[in-house]
Parts: sequence; C-alpha cells; structure tokens
Amino acid sequence: MTWKEKLAGKVSRELAGEIDVYETQLELRKLGKIDEKLFAETRLRRGAYGQRYDNGQRHDGVKTQQLKFPASPLTKGPETLWDAPGMQRIKIPFGGLTPAQLETLADCAEEYSDSILHVTTRQDFQLHFVHIEDTPTIMRRLGAAGITTREACGNSVRNVTACPLAGVCRTEAFDVTPYAKAIAYFLLGHPDTQDFGRKFKIAFSGCEQEACGLVNMHDMGALAMVRDGKRGFRLYVGGGLGPVPYQAKVFADFVPEEELLPIAQAIARVFARLGEKQNRARARIKFLVAKLGVDEFKRLVMEERKILPPDPRWTAFIPDAHGFKETPLKSPASLNGSAKPEGYAAWAETNVYHQLQPGYAVVTISLPIGDFTSSQARRLADLARKYCGGNIRTTVEQNLVFRWVAEKDLPELYRDLKAIGLGDFGAGTILDVVACPGTDTCKLGIASSRGLARELRQRLAAQYFNLDAAVKGLHIKVSGCFNSCGQHHLADIGFYGNSRTLGNRKVPHFQVLLGGKWRDNAGSYGLAIGSVPSKNVPAVVERITQRFVKERRGNEVFQDFIARIGKAESRKMLEDLMEVPAHELSPGLYSDWGDPREFTMGDMGMGECAGEIVSRLDFDLQAAERLCFEAQLKLEAKDLAKADELAYKSMLQAAQGLVKELWYDVPNDPDVIAKEFRARLFEPKLFWDRFAGGKFAQDFFRRHENPPARYEYDEVHRLIEESQLFIEAAHACADKLREQKAASMKL
Amino acid sequence: MELYKIGVKIFVANPRVVDIHDFIPVFHRWIQEQTIDGHQLIDVHDYSHVANGPGILLVAHEGNFSMDQEGGRLGLFYYRKRELSGGLESNLKTVLNAALQACKLLESDPKLNGIKFRTDEILVIANDRLLAPNDAASRAKFEPVIARALGKAKLAPQAADPRDRLAFVVSRG
Repeated sequence: MTWKEKLAGKVSRELAGEIDVYETQLELRKLGKIDEKLFAETRLRRGAYGQRYDNGQRHDGVKTQQLKFPASPLTKGPETLWDAPGMQRIKIPFGGLTPAQLETLADCAEEYSDSILHVTTRQDFQLHFVHIEDTPTIMRRLGAAGITTREACGNSVRNVTACPLAGVCRTEAFDVTPYAKAIAYFLLGHPDTQDFGRKFKIAFSGCEQEACGLVNMHDMGALAMVRDGKRGFRLYVGGGLGPVPYQAKVFADFVPEEELLPIAQAIARVFARLGEKQNRARARIKFLVAKLGVDEFKRLVMEERKILPPDPRWTAFIPDAHGFKETPLKSPASLNGSAKPEGYAAWAETNVYHQLQPGYAVVTISLPIGDFTSSQARRLADLARKYCGGNIRTTVEQNLVFRWVAEKDLPELYRDLKAIGLGDFGAGTILDVVACPGTDTCKLGIASSRGLARELRQRLAAQYFNLDAAVKGLHIKVSGCFNSCGQHHLADIGFYGNSRTLGNRKVPHFQVLLGGKWRDNAGSYGLAIGSVPSKNVPAVVERITQRFVKERRGNEVFQDFIARIGKAESRKMLEDLMEVPAHELSPGLYSDWGDPREFTMGDMGMGECAGEIVSRLDFDLQAAERLCFEAQLKLEAKDLAKADELAYKSMLQAAQGLVKELWYDVPNDPDVIAKEFRARLFEPKLFWDRFAGGKFAQDFFRRHENPPARYEYDEVHRLIEESQLFIEAAHACADKLREQKAASMKL
Repeated sequence: MELYKIGVKIFVANPRVVDIHDFIPVFHRWIQEQTIDGHQLIDVHDYSHVANGPGILLVAHEGNFSMDQEGGRLGLFYYRKRELSGGLESNLKTVLNAALQACKLLESDPKLNGIKFRTDEILVIANDRLLAPNDAASRAKFEPVIARALGKAKLAPQAADPRDRLAFVVSRG
C-alpha cells in the first residue's frame, strides 16, 4: 500500500488531483520531458525549494568538493541537482493550526526531514533536507490534515499572515482571522495570480499601533477599521523589505469588507499585467507602485475593478466572518491564589498576554530560533487539547501561541511546557532573537544568522535579570544576507550578513542597523551604521545597550535615542569593533559562528527566492504536454475513451493558453475557445506552420467538431500524435506572440 | 517494498567527557575525508539550542548521523533515508553497521576525550508509519527479525503512544 492509496478520500479531490499532476511532472522531468527552468518554477509553486550546496559543490574548509549524487546529472532546476537535499515550505494561513495538523507536521518532519519543525518569519513551517521524490507524499499527508503547500514559494501569493492575537486582542477593531482566511483561499491558485514576475505577500492587522501583522512592510496590507458601524480596511500597497526596503503607501483609507476580495483581485491583475517580468530585482509590486505613483496605480486598479466578472465568493464569506468565534475549552477562571512553580513569575511576565475576554490568556511558547522537535510537537498537540481547545497559531517572531487558556491553568501549563523543554521565558524581549536560515541552509546566505542568533540568545539569557528594563524590551533580528528574510530592518538592533576581504582571505561580517520600529505595524526602518566582523557582534550589542541605558533621557525609546545621537556618533561608538586584525593575530574572526571552516563565499548559489520568470502561457503549454503524456499512458493501458479525451483536452488547453494572450478572460467553454482560436490565431495565420500551413489547427477543429462515437486504437493513436504536433505548433505560435508583444512595446 | 527507513541509536556511556559542540569539527573533518563507507557526507548542523533534540547533525545523502539528545540521553543516532535493496534483516544490519562504524570513529578520535559507547543497549526505530505503524501487529512482525539480526537480545517496545514511531530498546540478553 502507498500513502496515496491509504489517504484516498481524505485529501480534497482538487488538491489530490493537483498533487497527482505534480507527481507526474516529477516523472516527466526524470524522463527529460520538462525543461529544468519550468520544472523549477513548478516545484517552487508547490513549496519545494532548493537548499545550499544543491549545485553539487561545497567548500569543506580546505577545498571545494564535488558532491556525488546517484541521479547526477539530472537536475530539478538550473544548477540544482535532483538528489540534493531541499526544503519544503508549508503554508499556514494566518498561522492557524490544529493539534492534528501539528501531529502530521511532526510525522513528516521525522520521516522525511531531520525531526525539526521550523517556524518562519511569515508564519509558515519549513522542513529541511527533504528529497524531491518524497515531496508528493509529504503534500498528501499534509493535505489529508487540511494543509496545502501550494504557492508557498515561487512567483505567487505567499502565505497570508495575520496578527496572532486576532480575535482576542484588547486593542483591535475586529477579528481579522476570517478575512485573512477568505483572501488566502480566494487567491490560492486563482487564474489572476498565476502570471506575476515576483512573489506577492499579504498581511492583516487588527490595530494600528502594535506590531501585529506588519502591514507596512507588505505588498498588500489590510488594517482593520470600523467606519459608521461598518467593517472595512485601510489598505496598503507596495511595502516590502529586501535589499532596499519600501514603506507601503495607503491605497485607500477605507475599503468596505465586501470590496476586499475584488480589490485584491484587481490589484493582482494590474501587477500581473504591468509588473516587471525581465529584471526580477525590480519585479516586486513596490517598484511598480513607486514607478506609477500610488494615485495612478489606484486609478488602474479601480478601472480593472469595474470590468471584473462578478464572483459570488467576494461576499459569500462575510456572514460567517461576522459570526466567527473560536471555542474555548474551559470556562474563564482567574488565577486567584493558585500555587505558582519556580520560574513562573518571569515566564508569565513575558509569555502571557491577558485576552480581551476576562479569565483567558494567550500563552507564547518560545521556540529557540523557530525550532522544535517532532516529539515536542506531539506533546504540544496534547497540551493544546488539554488547555486551549486546540487554538494554536504560529507567529512572525518564530514562536507558537496557545489562545484561550483559562488563567487558572497557567501555572500547570507552565509546568507542562517546562517538562518538554519549552518553558523558556523572554518571548518578545531581547532574548527572542529572530533569524532567517542564513548559511545553514539558504543558497543566498552569506553569514551564519542562526549561529549568531544562537550565540546572542545564550549570552543575553545569562545576563537577562541584570539588564535594564528598557533593554529587555528591545528586539534583535538577524538575516544571513541583505534580502531581509530575518526582517532586520524592523528591529531595534538588526544585522544582515556580508563579508569583507583582508589580503586574500574573507571575513564574515554583519552590517549593523539601528532604530527600526517593530511597533506601529513596522512603522519605520533601521539605519545602516557599518559592518563588523561576525564574532564582534555580541560586543556590539553590549556596547549599544550599555550606552542606551547610560544616556537615555527619561522614558526615551531606543529609536529616539538613536535618532538623537545620530548616525555618525553611532558609527563612532562601534568603529574599533569594525577593525579586522590580521589572520595570525585573530584567526577566530576568519570563521563563522558554529562553523570551524575558514570562511568562504564560494558556497553561495543561485537564489530561488524569486523563482524563475515563467509565464502563464508556459504553464498552460506544460499542462497541455502533461495531458498528452497521460493520454499516451491511457492508450498503453487500452483505455481508449480516456486517451482520446485527454489528447483532445491537451489541444484545448494549449489553444486556450494562446487565446488568453489576446483575450485574457476567455471562458473555459470549449466551443468559445475553438471559435476564438479560429478567429484570433488560425485565420490571421498566427497559428500557421511554414510547411504544414494550417494542418495542426485543422486536426484540432476536426476533433472538436466530431467527437468519436466509438473508439478505435489506430484513430486514438493518431489523435495523440496530432495533439503532440499541435502542442509543438503552439510553442512556435507562442514565440510569435512574444515577438509581436516585444515589438509593440519597443514602438 | 521492505522497510529501509530504520534508525539505530547507540548510547554514550560517558557523556560527561564531551561537550555537544565538540562533535562539530569532528563531523566537518569526516566530510573533508568522506569517512563513512557508502555515504555522500554533505553538511553539519547545530541543533544544540533545541532541548532533547538532534544535537549535532551530520547530513548525508543516504542517511543522517547525529549526536542525538532525545530523551535526555546522548547517543549516536543513524537513520537511513534512501532505499536499500535487501530484506528487512539485511537492511537492519546495513543500518547497524553504518552506526557502528561511526561510533568506532568517534571512540578513536583524540579530540573526544575517550568517549565510549555502550555495547549492552541500543534503540532501534522504524521510521516509516506506513510500513511499520506503532501497533501490536508491527511489533509481532519486527521483533523476531530484530532478535535474529542482533543475536541474543532482550527486546522491549519503547513507545506506548501509537503516534510515536515503532521502537525497541534492545539489550543484552
């Protein structure tokens, strides 16, 4: 028995079908029938990402080794070997998780990864060191638990994030959870989100002043507002971190709830149509909004909104959204006099938030740099069932929260968490250092962000109780490179990895950024001060925090302090720590945290963060090829009716893809597709072979107009041959259309 | 297909002689020298920040090695990831041999202060819930094979929770 057979009926039909298709694509890639670039974007859109060293090379500290994998030279993308370990990203919309889902994640981490579940800065999970051939099974097992990995990576709408306190927050306008959920599933796989030049990230916040969902740093951010008793959102567009961070612009002060989904759809359409497609370094929507100006961008979106075909899903979720309520397991009860175990007070001070609903609390489970084990995950699932009715969420600070814990249960929950090694205090404090994967697993990583975060966490924990209260509340965030996955711009003290060369040696460094604002939904970004050797970073933190305590005026916050002393003075404070002694004097500086190898940049690979620029038409033609291949399998199995149908559908798919280039909203009706294909492509001789003329199109028309009454092997065989040729001709036609488009853009 | 996703943990007898981070340079050296037979050694990972976790992990294509701290006990844990062509008994022996080779290398490493591994107790884990769910039927199926493969030994099922992997503590009979 296989997992596919065992889980039959437990995965939604649509998702099961998608995973079957993905599995076929894996087989086709192994047979060399799918181009590696196309396959790379295909797997990325299912969350299967590359990892460091997957180009088959690794510097071992002495020399660069060629990694010998059995399937070499087969690749799963450009310079990405098939057998090389990869990462599976798993979307968790708004971070909402059930105990059963946590158990499935734990099982998958154990059986296909390294028994570690990693929570990301966008509320996703990541499993590392996964073999590509295990990914369909992982997807099925997750699918049976109601989790999808679709569009977790690639040029698509990524995980929709939301404040983990939504619904229980004391200062929110209303619970954004059902809205985040509605938009996540509305845009998932939506035709209007399949042709982006880059990824698109959405976040929801319930209130303006807190950190919440960080709407200011997202491609699209929605901030809950109530106007005249009516729910809606202040909508932001064009924010983003990356090498050059952009603050989002206000798209509209108030978008009523019924307009949220159609406006998002219209934004997606404008981004797909006008966003940069060639230069991926400038392909995020922030560049489009900056180029057009937010007013012009808005005008285009509203024009698009007017012509959107109505969709009942735009408003169908709203009655449920108003009635949405999580069910607590227990009645509310305050802590009144319960015995408290040792360590409880410090933990409660940082890890417990008293809910809007009296008698209930949210408990943050501090995960060191976002990691926990499969065994801990299963025990956490038990605790969630025991204490909070299963209401778990992931956070962008790489932690988990239990919501709806009756306050009287807090001491017992603390005891239980401590017993499984998850009772650490310090959530949301300077101890809660956030880090992206960096050189541990990321191809773009320059310096060891996790190594540094681990070191800082350990050192700060040892002195935590002696720190000034103002320092305890600071945030530290670390990225392995300038791409900001660790969100270093938003931290009071942020770092991103880079390197400096001294003589003929490289030295791992971190750029220091000071004064970023976590509050106010990522209200402002930190300023770069200078780069220090990686091993000097703990001294940097110590020096900055000590000076802050010494020179702070009254209740001055850290951002104001940095602004007051200025960039030049901040740099001066760190100048001696920026110096790099010669290798003979200080060899330790020439290697990174937790890695004894002498530092090198040679292990960096090509990033997959942006994915490959693959157009919607490429995907349609790939789908046509897959259908044609499946027709061949059915023919082999003597299922003539199915083989005929699949061959015909492959032509229809290719034809529709081509027509879409000229009429985006072409419906799925085969008669309309055939008619439009004839009028727009066949008659103007765009779908026309130099030698065969219109033959391939006529094969399609013939089958469309005269479906067989009975099936003969030879006839079906011929149709499959014809469909293959039709798809070849469709590729040629696609090239013509692209040339036409390029020429018209030049004009 | 026979079960090949098998893990074996061999416990350290004198855990106080080492710090978990001592294994990082050792594993890096193993990669430089590609020390383990039949394995493409790839990278080293530090999970020492996770309580009772995989500790220090040496990633290889065929299977991973870690100085594992699960259950609060330090041990060399090896688990196979890629397919083996033998029957269950043969696969188990292959896995055990890889783990034993790693233990011998660690014991002879001068940087590890005379670390010793216990020879009277090991943990065998079936890391595949499809082929080996943690239930009575699987236990009945796997017990005699493990006993045959490991010679005279006393077997005790380890995990009572059916969600955990099927596992046996094998001790000298």
